[in-house]
Formats: sequence, C-alpha cells, structure tokens
Amino acid sequence: MDPVVNTRTARWSTYVVAFGITALIFATALYASNYFNNQRIADIRTTQDNISTDILSIETQFDLLQQHSCADVAENTILPSELQTLANQLSYMEGHGQTNPEEVIRLKRLYSLLEIKDYLLMKQLATRCGLKPVFILYFYSNEGDCTDCQKQGYVLTSLAQTYPQLRIYSFDYNLDVSALKTLISIDNVKDKFPALYINDKAYYGFQSVADVTKILPQLATLKKTATSTSAQK
Amino acid sequence: MVQTAYMGDISMSIGIVYALIFLCLYFEIFLLVSFLERKFGRRGAKERAGITHFPHVAIIVPCFNEEKTIGATMRSLLALEYPREKLDIIVVDDGSTDRTFEIASQYINERDTAHGIANVRAQQRTDVPTNPKCSEDVAIDLNASEFRNTMCGVSRVRIFHKENGGKHTAMNLGLEKIDAELIGCLDADSIVEKYALQEMVSIFKNPKVAAVTPGIHVKNPETILQHMQNVEYRLSVFNRFIFAALGSVFITPGPFSIFRTSIVRRLGGWRYAHSTEDMEMALRIQAAGLLIANAPRAVVHTSTPRTLRALYRQRVRWTYGWICNAKDYRYMFGNRAFGNLGIIILPWAIFSIATGIYFFFRVMWYGILYAQGELMRIQIMGVHPQLSYDPFYINTSALFMLVVASVAVILVLICIGSFIGTGSKKPPMATPLFLFFYSFLAPVWLLAAVFRAMFKTGVQWR
Repeated sequence: MDPVVNTRTARWSTYVVAFGITALIFATALYASNYFNNQRIADIRTTQDNISTDILSIETQFDLLQQHSCADVAENTILPSELQTLANQLSYMEGHGQTNPEEVIRLKRLYSLLEIKDYLLMKQLATRCGLKPVFILYFYSNEGDCTDCQKQGYVLTSLAQTYPQLRIYSFDYNLDVSALKTLISIDNVKDKFPALYINDKAYYGFQSVADVTKILPQLATLKKTATSTSAQK
Repeated sequence: MVQTAYMGDISMSIGIVYALIFLCLYFEIFLLVSFLERKFGRRGAKERAGITHFPHVAIIVPCFNEEKTIGATMRSLLALEYPREKLDIIVVDDGSTDRTFEIASQYINERDTAHGIANVRAQQRTDVPTNPKCSEDVAIDLNASEFRNTMCGVSRVRIFHKENGGKHTAMNLGLEKIDAELIGCLDADSIVEKYALQEMVSIFKNPKVAAVTPGIHVKNPETILQHMQNVEYRLSVFNRFIFAALGSVFITPGPFSIFRTSIVRRLGGWRYAHSTEDMEMALRIQAAGLLIANAPRAVVHTSTPRTLRALYRQRVRWTYGWICNAKDYRYMFGNRAFGNLGIIILPWAIFSIATGIYFFFRVMWYGILYAQGELMRIQIMGVHPQLSYDPFYINTSALFMLVVASVAVILVLICIGSFIGTGSKKPPMATPLFLFFYSFLAPVWLLAAVFRAMFKTGVQWR
C-alpha cells in the first residue's frame, strides 16, 4: 500500500468499526453518568433518612417533654444547614438535566414533607418551650412563570449565610404533595411568585434583603456569623 | 400543558446536541481508525536516497505586494536540494505596487548557495543528465533582462510582470511559460525546507497521482494567535495526510502543492473559483477521477496572520470560497462514485460549519444566562465565589463526558499530526489555548462567510 495515498474507494469496515467505537463511548458515558446520578440520589436518600430519623427523634422527645427539659430538645433540633444542604443538592439535580427527573421529583416531595414536619415541630417547640425561632416560608415556581425566583433565591441564601439560625423553608408551589397543598391553603398563599410567608402574612414579588429585614425585625435578635451555607430555592 | 411544551423543547434541544456530538465524535474516530488501520510508516532520508528519477519541475511564485516576504521565499527555493537543471523558478508579479519585482529581480543573478547546489550535485545519480548550458559562470555574466525570456539552461529564476488579475491568472501565465513535467505553486509568504521537493516528486512514480500536497507549518509563530494557528496547522497535517490516504484531499494549498503539468493543462488551468483557486483545482482533479497525495515530510513554513482582524479576513475568504465551491461541485456530495470524499469527507466539511455555528450560539446563549445569574448573585451576595469541594457537585453529566472525550480525541489527532509533521509526538505548547478558545473564534468567521455566501457579497484577498 502506498504510504501517502490510497484509492478513494470506501472501505465499509472502517465506517462500521468507527460507528461501533463511537457507540461504545456513548454507552460508556451514559452508563457512567447514570451511575454517578444514582450515587447522588443515594446520598440524598441517606440525608433524608437522617433528617427523617432526627425528626422522629425530636417528636418522640417532644412527647416525653414532661420528663425532659426543653433545653435538651432544643439542643437536638435539626440544624437549618442540613435542610439547606439537601435543598442545594436537589436544586443541583433539578437544574442539571439529570437522567432520572421522576426520581428527583420524588425526592423533592419527601424533602417538602420533611420541611413541613420540621416547621410544624419547631412551631410547637416554640410554644411549649418559649423558643423564638424565626421562619420564612418561600414559595417558588420553576415552570418559567417566575422571573424573579432566582434573584429571590440569592437574597434568601444571603440571609441564611448571615443568620445561620434563620429557618428558611422553600417549596415548589406546583409540587404535587397534599400536605404542601394544605399548607398553601391554610396560609392562603396565592400563585404569584416569588411568595414569602413571614409572620403569618404573605408577601408577593421580589423582596430585597432590606425589605426582608424590614418585614422581619426579629432578625436583629439572631446571631450573625461569617460562615454559612447557601439556600437557593 | 405549558410545562409539557417547555420540557418538550428542552428534550428536543438536548436531542440535537447529543446527535451533533455523536456525529462529531464519529468523524474523529473514523479518521483515527483509518489512520490506525493503515499503520503508516514515516518516510525519511532512506527513502529519499532511493530517488533515481528527478523530473523537471517548475515552481511558480505568484506575488502581489510581497516585498517583505519574497526574499525569504526565493532564498528557500534556491536552497532546495534538487538538480538545478531540473528546476525552474518562475516569479509572476501580479501587478505589485511595492518593491516586490525589484527584490525578486535580485535573485536572477543569485549564485546558488554552496550548501544547496553542492549537496545536490554530490547526491546526483548518474542517470541525471547534465545540461552544459547551466554553467554558473555564464549565469553570472548575463544581465537580468535576458534571463526573463530565457529558458532554463542559464538561470533557474525567471520573472514576469503583468497587470493585476488575481492569483489564478498569475498561475496560468506561469503555466504558459513552462515545459516542465511538474508544476508547483509557492505563495510568496512561504518558505520550503531543502528536501521538500525531493519528498514530493518521488510520489509521482504512481501514475494515478495528479498532485501532491506538503506538510504546512506556521512560520516563526510569535503572537498568541499565531501559536494557536500553529496547533491548528498540526491538526491540518494529520487531516491532509489521512484525507490523502482516503483519496479525499479537496484542497491543494498555495504553499507548495505540486501538480502534473499535463493534467493541469488538460483540466484547463486555474480558475478564479471565488478567490480560492486551490480548493477548486483540487475538486476538479477529484472530479476527473485522479488522486491527490500528501507528503507530510515535505515541510513548508507559511506566514500566518498576526492579528485577529487579519485572521478573520483570511478565514472568511477561505470559508466563503469553500461554501461557493461546494455549491459548484454539489453533485459530488453523498455521491458514492467519489468514494470516501463523496460519502463522508465533503458532507462533513459542510456539516462542520453548521455544527460550529450551532454550538457557538448555544454556548453563547447559556453563557449569557450564566453571566446574568452570576451578576445578579454578586449584586446581592457580593463577590464571594460559590466554590464547593463536595464531590456531589462534580459535573458527571453524559454530555460533559462526551465533550471531554471529543476534545481528547482531537488532542490525540494533534499529537499524531505533530508526529507525522515533525517526528515528535509532543503537541505544541499552545494546544490548551487552541482547544479552549479557538472553537469560540472560528464560528465568527464561519458566520460571516455563510452570510456573505447567502447574500453573494463576495470577498477580497486584501
């Protein structure tokens, strides 16, 4: 064979071999991506299981309040950062077009339930033990009808970083979770986004850090810190 | 309902991206497999020493306002290791308004460098005829005006001046004036290495070969842009080599492509061809059922644009010419009669333009969205970067992995190009810059060329 030129007749085996190798690379990439996504989902499940166990533990302790001091319960409440870490992970999974969106939605539903449970428990603890937790319920939509939701997410992340004890619960308004629908109904939150529910009142549209600080004077009672975790959506 | 339509759009968009990446990767793998299947060996001094026939070659140097580079071009031609009586150098000044003619004229009386001619003579075989007229003493005594109209036998260099008419007219004038077996072209901004011609002529032993292309390298890269082009040219060394092996070369570049004179005459000489006569000539040779070979060890160094503006102009001209020539020769596309050229190489060459533009817009669109988001984040949260060392956030999407795989294959092809062209597998230093930034530059001139081709605005050399 001439080293620098050949007849131009197509050698079909080359086309087939190249196709096979390309398909193999594609299959490997898809498999590897799927494997890593499953690992992520497993991580999230583990985190959710931990939170679920923590909540169950607190509930049990709460039921035994007569025999235990409020201080013991309060010390063992779920750190807001745990929920926020979970929120970040789910947000990442949702935003990066992962291969199993149904699984991500299922995890989001569970996450929302955990949030509601934590919220209700903290409210009960506040009443019984005289705690003064500061809550923000954030309702967003990612169906393309909320242009300010990303911006609002940054504001809440910023607040969460500044006030680690601030409890921010973010909910996908359109998520099909009956407990969430009930919460929306009880709090009478309309489908106008972004929506913040603070001190038993709903606020619609973008709220800046200054706006939230004005709405929520209790923020001043919380300890500020330099370390923080993000809390988008 | 809105959600469904929205998700449907996203799925379609992702589907297109996956399909395009599959095709890009497939083409790269196809070239790589073609290369590996043939297990090419490098041609070196051993094969050169086996040359027993030195055909008569005429090199045409078409030039227009090349006063800065013509001197180096002429010196490199005069230093070629080739029997002097077998080599004509024809400078065709295409209406230059600077000192190009004056500078080129200085080389009419130039005595061949001791290094060049002495070595060739020492290597000459007994079957190489010696022309008694080619005496250096006679050459030095004669004056320049006589040389211009004197055939080989006195000096190897002849110069013609004509009205400006474009490169193809300069080449055709040269074609009229020669009687050599082979005709070559050397752009006046390029220089050849001394063994380049010997490397190429030996391939013409194959009677099916109508033309041979060299291995083109960037001449003295200085700016970052030139270093990036240097990487691009290494990749082109590989492409030209493997396209030749597949019988699918569709460009016979201006820097030192050599043709059989009889075939060029039979095909009717060079044409204007939308300012890219080198593409059109190659396509015409292919259409005639002839072969174009490649000699990557025939090293040519060519000047490349130093600035982005100059590069843009050059590439718009190339791409515009390619699109217009592709239109003229559209019957070859997908035509099995032209083998690999018709089935994959030509369709890919057009497809790659569309793909480049699509990915450019896509990356720009998402880049703008990301930048807007970041700007918003910085406005609200300050400039603190959102870095996370949690392995959870490492990008492991299939798309990302496929892009990495595609870039890795290109890197392999660059390394092979370096090995073929220079003997070293080490890619040029600017390879990372080329891989990450050049793909953002190229679509700019691709878009401009497509626009000009659509609205037939034309292009200019300068």
